[in-house]
Amino acid sequence: MAERTLHGTGATPRSGVGSVVWYGRDIALPDPDNVDIDPETEIEQFADAVDTARAELESEREATAERVGEDEAAVFDAHIQFLEDPTIEDAVETMIDEGLPAPNAVDAAFGEHIEQFEGMDGRMAERADDLRDVRDRLLRLLTDGERVDLGDLPEGSVVLAERLTPSDTAQLDPERVAGFATVTGGRTSHAAIFARSLALPAVVGVGDALESVEGGTEVVVDGDNGTLLVGPDEAERAAAASDSGTAIVDESVETTDGRHVEVAANIGQPAELEPAAERGADGVGLYRTEFLFLDRETPPSEDEQYEAVREALDTFPDGRVVVRTLDIGGDKRIPYLDLPEEENPFLGERGIRRSLDPDSDLFATQLRALLRAGADGAGDLAIMFPLVATVEELDAALDALDAAVADLESREAEAADPEVGVMIETPSAAFMADELAARVDFLSIGTNDLTQYVMAADRENERVGDLHDPTHPGVLRAIHRTVTAAHAEDAWVGMCGEMAGNPDLTELLVGLGLDELSMSAVTIPEVKTAITETEYSSASERGDRARLAATRSEVHTSLEP
Amino acid sequence: MTVERTVTIVPEAGLHARPASAFVQAVNDHDAEVSAGHPDGDLVQAASMIAVTSLGVGQGDDIKLVADGPDAEAVLDELERILTTPEEELDTDDG
Repeated sequence: MAERTLHGTGATPRSGVGSVVWYGRDIALPDPDNVDIDPETEIEQFADAVDTARAELESEREATAERVGEDEAAVFDAHIQFLEDPTIEDAVETMIDEGLPAPNAVDAAFGEHIEQFEGMDGRMAERADDLRDVRDRLLRLLTDGERVDLGDLPEGSVVLAERLTPSDTAQLDPERVAGFATVTGGRTSHAAIFARSLALPAVVGVGDALESVEGGTEVVVDGDNGTLLVGPDEAERAAAASDSGTAIVDESVETTDGRHVEVAANIGQPAELEPAAERGADGVGLYRTEFLFLDRETPPSEDEQYEAVREALDTFPDGRVVVRTLDIGGDKRIPYLDLPEEENPFLGERGIRRSLDPDSDLFATQLRALLRAGADGAGDLAIMFPLVATVEELDAALDALDAAVADLESREAEAADPEVGVMIETPSAAFMADELAARVDFLSIGTNDLTQYVMAADRENERVGDLHDPTHPGVLRAIHRTVTAAHAEDAWVGMCGEMAGNPDLTELLVGLGLDELSMSAVTIPEVKTAITETEYSSASERGDRARLAATRSEVHTSLEP
Repeated sequence: MTVERTVTIVPEAGLHARPASAFVQAVNDHDAEVSAGHPDGDLVQAASMIAVTSLGVGQGDDIKLVADGPDAEAVLDELERILTTPEEELDTDDG
């Protein structure tokens, strides 16, 4: 038994063992009443810290621009501006002259403005985070706190942190990191999704108890059980160390009786593409384009979007990349879109509804970028529209696509002739699947939202978590109906929700007739293996029994071996 | 040489976010002391992102700019360009 077990939420079904490295821990300030200071020396130390911080920021900026992208790197420019801000500089120097040690002066000078920004409206409040980052960097330098370089950790490190931001995770080297655990965050937090895409063992939302784990302690990150084992025993350590998962299957797979099922990856960031290919993805079944639009102050240009999609297509030269057009609504804050606050954003103007807004050219720009990338990229482009509820919406989206092709032709730019599909997430789309399928090449079932809307159960609300389960017969019947309608129109059907990545449900999904399953990269080897062990004819009988069941427990009984 | 100018803000974001960033950058790139503020209020250092953003100047507001130094005219020309260019047309080097 481990000395202690801390509980959180497992982000990745993997375990890892390693030695704790704390990242971004609070820094102890000197007690100002107990130190003799020489203001001149303190001011010099402050100036040196600013110089070093600037050099660090510049090199991190370069590294991020290279590894992730120019937009992600831009945050470092803002940090440099704050670092050199004369308002802060003057305040720090004044306070040092009045007798404060440099770290305390930095803490106080930044603190005042952090508070001020926090009190302002949304967009400015985000600046408080930037100021905090710059302050912590200076304090680490001034107090000789070790600055942990996430890109250069000793092999076998387990990173513990309050939280990990996108710029933090972008620096993590999965070859060296055995896992991470954070105080805050849930299964859908940025850090958790990132961990899954890299198959990195991770536990999030451990709470304040995590703070008590000292640097250097040996821990097991158990992503299956959502626990952190502090001081594991020999058996626990060995079990975690040997958890390398199922062997990777690179080639495409079929059932024992020869039915081919495509296994693709869900991708939310370009950094996830290469790891997905390495885990044996046949292609990309869901390329979320939201990352291009979030955490920035102006919309991405056509060229920028072209590059991002092109990169995905070139990563899978023999595969297909299904790009979902922008799926954004009132639940995501995008300052430059100026989205109205909605009482109930999940039932509001999101997905295709927003894309069809006649006052915005975001959709047209995105479609042109996709078509150009599809013409030039190595893999096959497919375009998918999210949250379609009506045939009218689909027709309007198809018109917009035709207009984008015409636009490119008038510019004498080459446009791809992609497969086009509809994401089945609304009950209406499931009921109308025959009409929708008649107009497109494929349907892809987004089970997270479909379950939420079919069961009327908020996916984030744990109180109705039992209802938010795709193995309810109501959801299975919606899936079956979609598959049957699509096949009658010679359209293929994929699934790109969390359900598709659960190897325990692979036989059921193959039996229900899905042609493609798309998931977080981490479970691709398990699902591929499960497909090769499935016999389609018996899976199909099992699928019928499951969908005809009256209750969820009957469904589960029908799934037992 | 001290020069003074009052400009009406065009960018939708006001003197925040990207326009503020470009504004401060322009001040730092010129050889002049620049201060800014509401036409009838106190002036703050235009080289300070914190000071500039905490002015709370929004779209349509007037802002008074005072510059002193060899580049005084040039920096005010550049600042006026930034403050009167809609955000999406603002040409900066951040890609």
